[in-house]
Formats: sequence, structure tokens, C-alpha cells
Amino acid sequence: MWEMIQRSLQRGVLAGREATPVPAGITPAPRAESGEIEVMGDALRVEVQRLFRGSLKLRHLDAGSCNGCESELQALLNPFYDLQRFGIDIVASPRHADGLLVTGPVTRHLEEAVLRTDAATPRPRLVIAVGDCACDGGFCRDSFAVHKGASALLDVAVRVPGCPPRPAEILRALLMAIGHESVRVAAGVSAPGMPTP
Amino acid sequence: MSKPPLIGDLFPLDRALRGIRERFADVVIDADRTSLRERTVVVPAERLAEVAGALTQDWGASLLTLFGLDERGSAGRFRIHVMFSMAPEDAFITLVAAVPETAPAYKAVTTTVHAAHWLEREMQDLLGVTPVGHPDPAPLVAHDGWPRGMHPQRRDFAVPDGISWPPRFSFHRVEGEGVFEIPVGPIHAGIIEPGHFRFSTVGEAVIKLDVKLGWKYRGLEELGEGQHWTRGLEIAERICGTCAFSHALAYCQAAEELAGATVPPRARALRSMAAELERVYNHVTDMAGILNDTAWVVGAAEMMRVKEIVQQLIDGLFGHRFLRGVCVPGGVQRDLDDTQELWLRRVLGDVRAAVEQTRHAMLNNAAVMDRLVGTGVLPLEVVRDLGVTGVAARASGSTRDGRKDHAYAFYRDLDFGVVTRNGGDVLARYELRADEIHESLNLIDQMIQRLPGGPIAQHLGQLPNDKWGFGLVESPRGLLSHWLRADERGDISDWRVRSASHAAWPAVALAVPGNIVPDFPLINKSFNLCYACTDK
Ligand code: SF4
Repeated sequence: MWEMIQRSLQRGVLAGREATPVPAGITPAPRAESGEIEVMGDALRVEVQRLFRGSLKLRHLDAGSCNGCESELQALLNPFYDLQRFGIDIVASPRHADGLLVTGPVTRHLEEAVLRTDAATPRPRLVIAVGDCACDGGFCRDSFAVHKGASALLDVAVRVPGCPPRPAEILRALLMAIGHESVRVAAGVSAPGMPTP
Repeated sequence: MSKPPLIGDLFPLDRALRGIRERFADVVIDADRTSLRERTVVVPAERLAEVAGALTQDWGASLLTLFGLDERGSAGRFRIHVMFSMAPEDAFITLVAAVPETAPAYKAVTTTVHAAHWLEREMQDLLGVTPVGHPDPAPLVAHDGWPRGMHPQRRDFAVPDGISWPPRFSFHRVEGEGVFEIPVGPIHAGIIEPGHFRFSTVGEAVIKLDVKLGWKYRGLEELGEGQHWTRGLEIAERICGTCAFSHALAYCQAAEELAGATVPPRARALRSMAAELERVYNHVTDMAGILNDTAWVVGAAEMMRVKEIVQQLIDGLFGHRFLRGVCVPGGVQRDLDDTQELWLRRVLGDVRAAVEQTRHAMLNNAAVMDRLVGTGVLPLEVVRDLGVTGVAARASGSTRDGRKDHAYAFYRDLDFGVVTRNGGDVLARYELRADEIHESLNLIDQMIQRLPGGPIAQHLGQLPNDKWGFGLVESPRGLLSHWLRADERGDISDWRVRSASHAAWPAVALAVPGNIVPDFPLINKSFNLCYACTDK
């Protein structure tokens, strides 16, 4: 145990660093662009401080995803992204949440559970659709057993496309979510400053 | 590759076929043989249970999957397939039975082979064929709100009116003084998938656990039917996010068997490499989950660190953090060059060290060990009885491993052993994962050294409609299979998927009783089964 702590002290703070930087001379596979974590994170911290007194609590709601989007939400909490340092955290109860992160197309079987979770979230609240499935049903939108995304049942303020979106893209979307005027209205923070009660 | 052991003077497959021939006069062997390693036996539906029971009890077969097909249009019947593995021989036996359209019922295979339990319930829901005498015929995917006669796998299915979609379940009740029921889910506190658990408890002790899944039912097999195989691949990769590559691989193997395509050696090696990388990042995640649920945050954070390292490596090499878009029927879409291989080796060296250091610290941490030792024991008999595979099975002493038993991709050309543990508890499942990560890293090393040259894909022609294809993969969670049949246009006509989690969920319900309620999350995490691939 002591050695582990020692090693992590030697490694220093990982937050904001790349886990596996591509060394010089190696060509990585073509892949989707992701934004700069730190730049977005700093902006995010400022906004969370200004609008939510430094603390934005979100509740995850799985509405029938393949668990890929879940995995990326979990990654946001790992030592490299460390979402909490921006003042954002994922909470266990909708009662404690300022908003919902919805993943999956909303399966018909889950519709009641989704509505009840939303009803249990105090108003005003932000609804963020994470992943193609939650945005518009994604690859399975034509199935009889699902809705075409979270907006079928909920007031979605922000959509984060991607299958799954990379952690950095989710961060960017969160920034947009609280920065965007319509979102502020939905979240009851229309005037800069304090959230309206 | 070593030869399978002889039993008496016969190989397992021949012994079973001879046994069937001698004991059952009214069966037809090899009525429509589909591949060299799969033999079909046509059985009258009412004797299916009897023949299946003899195969597993007397001739060493183990159930892989069971499903039904709607052939009312072409032949006025439903067709049932029951597939068995003849491991250690790389061979399969498929029992085929016809159930008449007019009386869609037959004697349940579960009466003799318990591993068919959830499979038959699912078939009853989705196809509307009744396994008579099933010990627990409650709906599995469907539920009490679905109207009678709603069977999405029937070809004439149309969504009826008046469905009450929100699940309504009836539960197995435990009665007596001081018995309480604790309902949990479907929505859980955390970043977790939905499922409903109903505990019957006395004090803190759980005496019964009823697991109700199906919340994530997306109708994916049905969605793929009638579509071109490229669309099928898109769906296959999204059945499960974290086993995306394993699903893609099993699907591609099924399509390749059907089309008679041979995959070039370099593609086979790259497939095995990607599959092992998928195993590594999944195992590391599961270890993080176990440590997190014992509240040992230092260890959990360390394993989450390693997971991110592996996923960014995978992203850099293959272009997707979950390996989507890598496997295609006929081969793979990404190649590695020498410098990338070096990078891969260097990063994985650090991974190996970190996994070992964390295990070492954990074994010396009394507070953590106290939670892990003797918790959630799954006995080997249950593993065998319910046909559990993967980590959950090998941590209880089972030696089943699809990479050995039915070698695919590049595994025939590699030296490796099947790692097992005997404890069957949470600790055994943790340690088995650590052991398997070492084995996976050894395999990747070997593949880098022996990576064959040549092309990475072969063209896949049109899928023929006169046979079927089957793909079996040892996913991070255990055996996973895809079964495919095409129509005359070469599009998918029937598609049946079975994931490892589907086989292991009933075992979780048996590993929990006798433990206390607060240990449930830990036990559940130590299996870390997938809800999405079970519900489909
Ligand atoms: S968007 Fe993609 S990763 Fe997310 S739930 Fe849907 S299929 Fe899975």
C-alpha cells in the first residue's frame, strides 16, 4: 500500500495529462478529433463557479444503452479527466441532481422508469443526451422496442453525438450546456449570477 | 494443436454419435450437415429433452445455445436448434427438431439440461413456442404487460395495440416471520445498467434473490433480419459496448463460415491481438469495480488509470477506444507497422507491472481481503449445471475456454494455458482476472513476434441461403456466439446471439444467498455481467 502511494506521489498529478501519448515517429490510426481537455475544463470551472456556486451535480440515467456511453462517463471520473476538479460530480440520487445525463435510445421497457427518475429530479433541471442513441435513437432507432432518443419523453437541452462520444467531447458538451442561453433558461439561470430559486 | 483425448477408443464426437445411434432409433444423424466440425441430429420434438439429457450426462456435451426459428411460411413449422460443444474436441452437435405450427409446444429441454433455463424462456417470449414442463415458465424478456400472442421473432409480427410497456413482474415469494423483501432497481445509484433485483432477507442475510432483466430489450436480432450483412455488423458491434470487438468477431466468423471465406493469417493474428486487448481493458475495469466496492479507492483509482492507458493505446493503434470498426467479415480494417508494435509492447510492460503491484498491495491489505475472501462463492457443480463460462466459471475450477476448446482466429498457433482458480469467491474472480491479464499480455507478445505478412482482408461474396454459419468467441465475460442464416437475396434472414452474461446471470442469483445485503454489489461486480448483451 505504501509503495502504491509512493509511486503515485512520484508520478504527480495525472489530471489533464494524456494517459498514453503517441511517441515521436509513430503514426496513430486515423481517429476522431477531440478537444483540449484543459482549455475546456478551465472554462467549465469558471462557469460552474459563476452559475452553480462551484457545484454542478448530475445524475446518470441509463435508458437502454449498449454500455459504451456508460464506460466513457465512468472514464470522466478517472485520474486523467477527474471531472470533480471542475466542480461537477455524478450523484447517486435524482433528488440531489441539477440535471440528468441520459444514455441509450429509451427502450419502451424503461419509459416509466425514465419518467419517474425525471419526475424525482428537482426543477429546474438540465437534461443532457449523451451518445447517438440518446440523441435520436442512433443505430437502433428503427426498432419497435425503442423510442427515437431521450427527447421522445424528456426536454433535452443538449445533445452530445458520438458512438460513444469521447470523454473530452462530453466535457465540451457540458460546457456548451451551461453556457448556452436556452440551457440557462431551462436550468433557471437565465440571468448571469445566481440560479433563480 | 494437440489431439483431443480419446475416450475408450473413440473421440468425444464419435462416441456421442454412436451412443445416440444405439440408444435412439428414431433420430437421423447428419440430415443437413453444415460444416466439418458441426454435426446435426434430427430428433422428434417430444424426445429433444431426452436426447439432450443423454448428451450432457452420458457423453460429455455442454450446452452452448438453444433457439427457435419461424419456418411456418416455407415448411409449416417452427424449428428448434439445440447446440452443444464437444470440448475438448473442436466439434459441435446440433439437435434439430420440428414443432408443428398448429401446436407450437414440446417437452422442455430444461427438464433434463438446466442450462437451457433462460434460453427456453426467451424463446417462449420471442417466438411463442412453449417448452412444456419448464420449471419456471415466467416471461424473461417479455413480461406480464405484453399481450398474448406478441412474438417479435415471428415473421408476421406487427406491433399490436394495447401493450403496457412498463414491466410488470411476479416474484418468487419467501414467506415466514421476519422475512423482508428489498426491491432494488431498475434504476441504480451510479453509472450502472438497469436491472431489477428482489432480495428476500432475514436480518442482513439474503435468503433468496430474484433477478429480473429485459429492461434494455432493443429487439436487435429482429432489427438485423432482412438487412444486408454490413448493417448486421453495425448492430452486432453495438449489442454491447465493452465487448464490441468480441461480438463483431463472432458475427464475422458466422458470416465467413456461411460464405466459405478464409481469413488471411495476418488478419487472424490481428484479430486475436485486438481480442486480447479488449480482454485486458475489461478485466482491469472489473478489478477496479471490485476494489471500488470494497471502498479501497487507492486501488480502484490505480486500475482506472491503467484502463485509460490501455484504451488510449487501443485508440492510437486501431482508431476507436472500444475497437469498433476494426473487424469486418473477411478480415480486419486496421494494420499495424513495426514502430506501432514496439510502442504496444512498451506500454503493455507498464500495464503488467501496475496490475501486479496492485494485486500485491491488495493481498496485504486486511480490510480489503476481509471483504473478498469467502464472499459470493459459486460452486463448480452450479457452473456445470447452468453452463456458466468465462471468468465466473474458471474461478470455480472449470477449464472451459473457447480459445482452447474451439480455437479461432490465431489461437491455434499460440502457446498458452487455461488459467483457473478453485475458490469460486470474489477473491478468486479478482485473482483470475489478474492471472488472465498476464496470459493475454504473453499472447500479445507472441503475436508481435510471429505476426505473419500478407493481406489483412479477403473479399466476402454473397451469403448463400442453403446453410448456416456459426461463430464462437471467448469474450472477456465468457463464451459468446452468433448464428446466421441468409435469404435468397443474401441478406440476413435469421440471426441468433447468445452472450456469456446470458448464461451466467442465473448463477449470480445462486451465489448471493447466504451472504449479507451489503455484499451484493461486490458479488455482482465480481461477475460484472452485461445487461445490454443479455437483453439485446
Ligand atoms: S451511442 Fe453508441 S456507445 Fe452510446 S449507447 Fe448507443 S450504441 Fe452504445
